[in-house]
Formats: sequence, C-alpha cells, structure tokens
Amino acid sequence: MKFTIYQESRPGKRPTNEDRIAYSYSRESLLMVVADGMGGHLHGEVAAQIAVQYITEAFQREAHPLLKDPFLFLSGALNNAHHAILDYAADRFLPEAPRTTCVACIVQDSIAYWAHAGDSRLYAIRGGRVLGVTRDHSRVQRMVEDGLITAEAAVHHPARNRIFSCLGGTNAPQVDFSKKTPLMTGDVILLCTDGVWGPLPSDVIPRAMSTGNVLQATPALLNQAEARGGENADNLSMIAIRWEDNYAEDTIGSVSTKTMPIDSFTTQMEAFAKARKGTQPLPNLSDEDIERAIQEINAAIRKYSK
Amino acid sequence: MPPQANVPLPPGYQLDEYRIERQLSLGGFSIVYLAFDKEDTPVAIKEYLPNSLALRSQGDALPSIAEENVATFRYGMKCFFEEGRALAKISHPNVVRVQNFFRANETVYMVMHYERGRTLQEHIQKHKGEIRESFIRAIFARLLNGLREVHTHKLLHLDIKPSNIYLRNDGTPVLIDFGAARQTLSLDTPLLKPMYTPGFAAPEQYNNTRRELLGPWTDIYSVGASMYACMAAAAPQAADQRLERDQLAAAVKRWPEKYSKQLLETVDWCMRLNYLERPQSVFALQKALADKARSVPRPTFLGGLRKRVRDLIK
Ligand SMILES: Nc1ncnc2c1ncn2[C@@H]1O[C@H](COP(=O)(O)OP(=O)(O)OP(=O)(O)O)[C@@H](O)[C@H]1O
Ligand SMILES: [Mg+2]
Repeated sequence: MKFTIYQESRPGKRPTNEDRIAYSYSRESLLMVVADGMGGHLHGEVAAQIAVQYITEAFQREAHPLLKDPFLFLSGALNNAHHAILDYAADRFLPEAPRTTCVACIVQDSIAYWAHAGDSRLYAIRGGRVLGVTRDHSRVQRMVEDGLITAEAAVHHPARNRIFSCLGGTNAPQVDFSKKTPLMTGDVILLCTDGVWGPLPSDVIPRAMSTGNVLQATPALLNQAEARGGENADNLSMIAIRWEDNYAEDTIGSVSTKTMPIDSFTTQMEAFAKARKGTQPLPNLSDEDIERAIQEINAAIRKYSK
Repeated sequence: MPPQANVPLPPGYQLDEYRIERQLSLGGFSIVYLAFDKEDTPVAIKEYLPNSLALRSQGDALPSIAEENVATFRYGMKCFFEEGRALAKISHPNVVRVQNFFRANETVYMVMHYERGRTLQEHIQKHKGEIRESFIRAIFARLLNGLREVHTHKLLHLDIKPSNIYLRNDGTPVLIDFGAARQTLSLDTPLLKPMYTPGFAAPEQYNNTRRELLGPWTDIYSVGASMYACMAAAAPQAADQRLERDQLAAAVKRWPEKYSKQLLETVDWCMRLNYLERPQSVFALQKALADKARSVPRPTFLGGLRKRVRDLIK
C-alpha cells in the first residue's frame, strides 16, 4: 500500500476549532475521518472529538491488517460513534446531545469506500475531474442540485448551515454510503469540512488537485478558502491522499516528481493514534539517561575514529 | 490536528557549534541538514523529529510536543540513539561516518561526515535503463565491503535500498541511514513504527514475531533488490506480495541480452524468498560479483517449498 497524505486543520477566524480530523493505517488498510462539531450546539468540539477518536480506535481494533467488510465497518463505526456521543451527554445530564458531521473513508486493496452524515465532503478526483463526491445532507444544497436556487444564492441562504443528518442529536443519523471505487495511481481522495468547500467556487477543488501533489495543493487550497472566508472564516480542515499504485513497479518512478521527497514521506509516515487505552506504558527516559547515552555514543565515536 | 509536515530550522541558524546552511531532506522521523562547523567544514546533521509526535512551527526552534506524546517522543529518542551507537563503532570508507552527537532544542542531533554526490535512487532515475554491468559490479562490490564491516559488528542494516545508498562524486558508494536499527525497539509502538519501502525489504522482515530469522541474508535480499532496481529502473515486487503470488520476473529471463547470465543469476540468487537459498554471507556474494566465471548455485526446487517458506514467515 503506498500513498502520500497531508492533513491540516485551522481555526479560521473563529476563537475555537471544532473540527477534528485523523487518519490511521495498518499495513494494508487506510482510514481517514473528518468531523465538524456543530457550533451553536453545546460542546460541538466534544462531539467531533468523540466521533474521530471512536472511529479511529474501532479501526485499530479491526484492521488486522485488512477490514473484513469496509462498508459494514463504516456503518457500525458511525452508528456506534453516534451512540457514544449520546452516552457522553447522558452521563453528564446535558440538556441536549452535542452534534457533529462526519465523513469517513477506507482504502484497501486499492478500493475506496466511504460514508457520511452531514455536510463535510469527500471528493474522489482523477486527473482534475471529479469521480465521485458526497451529497450534503442539507436542504439548501439539495435545492441547488435540483436547480431551485443558484449556488450564489445558497451562499447567502439563511438555512445554509442547517443539516438534516449528523452524529449526536435527537434523531438517528442518516448515513449515506458510496459505491466501491477502484483507485488508480495518481487518484486523489480528499475529505474536508464546509469551511473549505463553502467559500470556493465548485471547480476550484478538483482543479487544484489535478497535479496530484497533495503536499502542496492542500495547504494552498486552505489558504485560498481562508482568504475567501474573510473576516468570519469558519474552521477549515482537510485530509488528502494521492494514491500510488502499490504492487506495480512504479515505486521509483513515483518518487521522481521533483516537488518533495514523496518517497521519504510515504514510506515513513507514521500512523496517527490518539493516546490509546490499553497500551502498556513506555519505559521512561530521564534527562540523565539521555545525557549518558550521548556520552557513550561520543566516547564510541572517539574510540573508533581512524 | 496539526499538519504533518515539519518545518526545518532556517538557513543561518546557529545550532550548537554548527551553522545550518540548508535542509537536505525531510523524512517522517528526522530532518537532515547541510551545516558548517567552526572550521567551515561541511557536515550533515540529522535531527530527531518524528512528525507524528513533535511539530515545529514556522519561526520556532523548539518543537511542540503534546503532553500525551512526551513519553513516546522520549522512547523514540532511545531508538535514534541506536542509530548513533551502530554507526559510532564503524569506521569504514563505504559507511557514513558519524562525528558527534549532541542535545539541543529539546531533541537530539547526529553529526555525520558530509558526502558530496547523490543517492543511487537519483542516479537510477537519471539513467533509466542504461545502467551498465560494470557499474553495477563496481558499486555493489565496494558497498558490500562496507556491509561486511557492519555485519562483523553484529549489526544488520535492514533498510538497504537505492535511496539509502549514496554515490560520491568520485563514484564510490557509501551506505547511509542506519535508522532501521530503531526497529528492534519500536515494534510495539504504533507512533514510531517504521514503514518498509515495498520492494526492498526481505520476506522475513514482514514477520515481526520471528526476529531470529533475520540475518546477513536479510540485508542480502535488499542488496539483490537494489541491483534489480538498477536494471529495471523501478522497484521489484514487494516480498510480502511475492509470498502470496510471486509475479517477479527473474532477472535471467528479463535481461538476457543486456547483462551477463552470471550477474543476472547472482541477482536472482539474492532475491530467493527462502532465506536459506540466498548467499548466506556478504563474502559469498562478493565472490560471485567479483568473479564473472563463477557459477551460481541453482535453487533446489523441493516439493512444497513455497509453502514451507510461508510457514516460516507467518
Ligand atoms: N552524510 C550525508 N552526506 C550528504 N547527504 C546526506 C548524508 N546523510 C543523509 N544525506 C541526505 O539526506 C537524505 C536522507 O538521509 P537518511 O536516509 O539518513 O534519512 P531518512 O531517510 O530521512 O531517515 P529516517 O528513516 O531516519 O527518517 C539522503 O537521501 C541524502 O540525500
Ligand atoms: Mg533514507
């Protein structure tokens, strides 16, 4: 499995960042997840945090190294995350459960599977063209799709932030699933919150990703969205991967892209994992231990020089 | 959550007794810089900075480390020390020389002799499909001198691949990046887990539980895969995939017109899935590379051999 990945989350002009993002991978399966905790609701960032953490942990339990059934996994993980948020609220006697959007994607055996609730989006992009994109659970957005209002008008629509499916909240989420989407070398999968896609004209994201250089294109897109978001720019978060055909003999060729040492990135990326329960504590390395190790090494260097 | 790319120290930054000139590379575990010491001699400095644990922002020297990651960060430092320990004991013209080790900016730094040239990987890309037999024999014969020295010290490199073989401007090779020494320590630590470059790691490296299977033959597989990459201008099929379904075309079959049969057989010999069938020592391989007339042992196709290998690995 080979890919290049970049993720970043920014507060925009808001005092707090209620977006949460994460990725995790085993040797053969990759998970990416983006959640946008809903402001206005109490503890939006808590809901987003629970969702991301819950789904990541479930992935780490089940991907050994492949998930048996990615759709089943996504369905279980999103629904259980929803209940984990409700439990959190119940435990604390919160008057209202916090809410969050969620979009999650699994890639394994070069096939992508995704699921979402709310208006955080996933784009699958090939050669600068959109292969697939999630449909927001937003009435305003559906009106745009149905041609009832223009995209322009939607930006200013009073109900533009209202969504009819999310994790947490009183109603069970409506989760939509993608088709199984086979990937080819160079395909880009991008997950983002509405702080990113909202301010940008619809063709900007696929075009920005047409080079496939996610390491450069991701921060550039965030800059653009943040600038267009202006004085009131929302939280913006994005994870993007460029899929690199794994088993074909392209390993060296793919590194030749002169932009960045993709090789060192893709082969050395570390999985993101939040401090996990159940892992044994690591032996502590004190300052004295560090000093001693350095002295020993320097002594060996002197001894073996020449 | 922060971006995963780390920001290097800026040019001109005074780091202990060294002045940073520029960044040479940025990996997931460390950043390598070109710097100058007090006598204005160039050095390469490797900074321990795993981006899953410690992130430096623009304009800062100190990385920020989330509290829950401090223990893991320190533990990884221990692994970084292993690289220093391994290299400190080896003084050989074909192995990068470490000169100093120090602590600064709440992390640690390894100072190496600066080599002028480029990696074999870059060379392969520049000369796609036109790498000559004499070049391969010359580079790898010398490189194996260095690897022999490493093995003599009871160390394994475990990450030999074209991007970790450096070619000086005078054409001699240097083995760099002993970072894999950390693997021994970090197996159960997800945040520090190395990811092998598919194509160059030996099949037995995919089995975390049977470390006793690793030996000189493990590095020898990677040497064979690197020679194969010189010919193919691409990485060979990854060993774990080969165990499932071996689609790697034998060098002997692929390039009979371009390279001598003896060299091609030597490459295939190194890349046998069953480690017992590979050259068992660097010396054995060196003899094959030096002596064009020498014949290469044939594989013993015992019934069910593939299965036996798989049993060993799984
Ligand atoms: N001694 C040196 N002289 C010149 N260049 C060097 C030297 N050491 C490293 N480099 C350059 O830095 C790059 C990365 O070095 P190295 O392979 O040691 O690090 P890495 O792959 O990032 O390691 P890690 O796996 O520890 O993160 C090399 O490909 C080479 O271009
Ligand atoms: Mg390297």
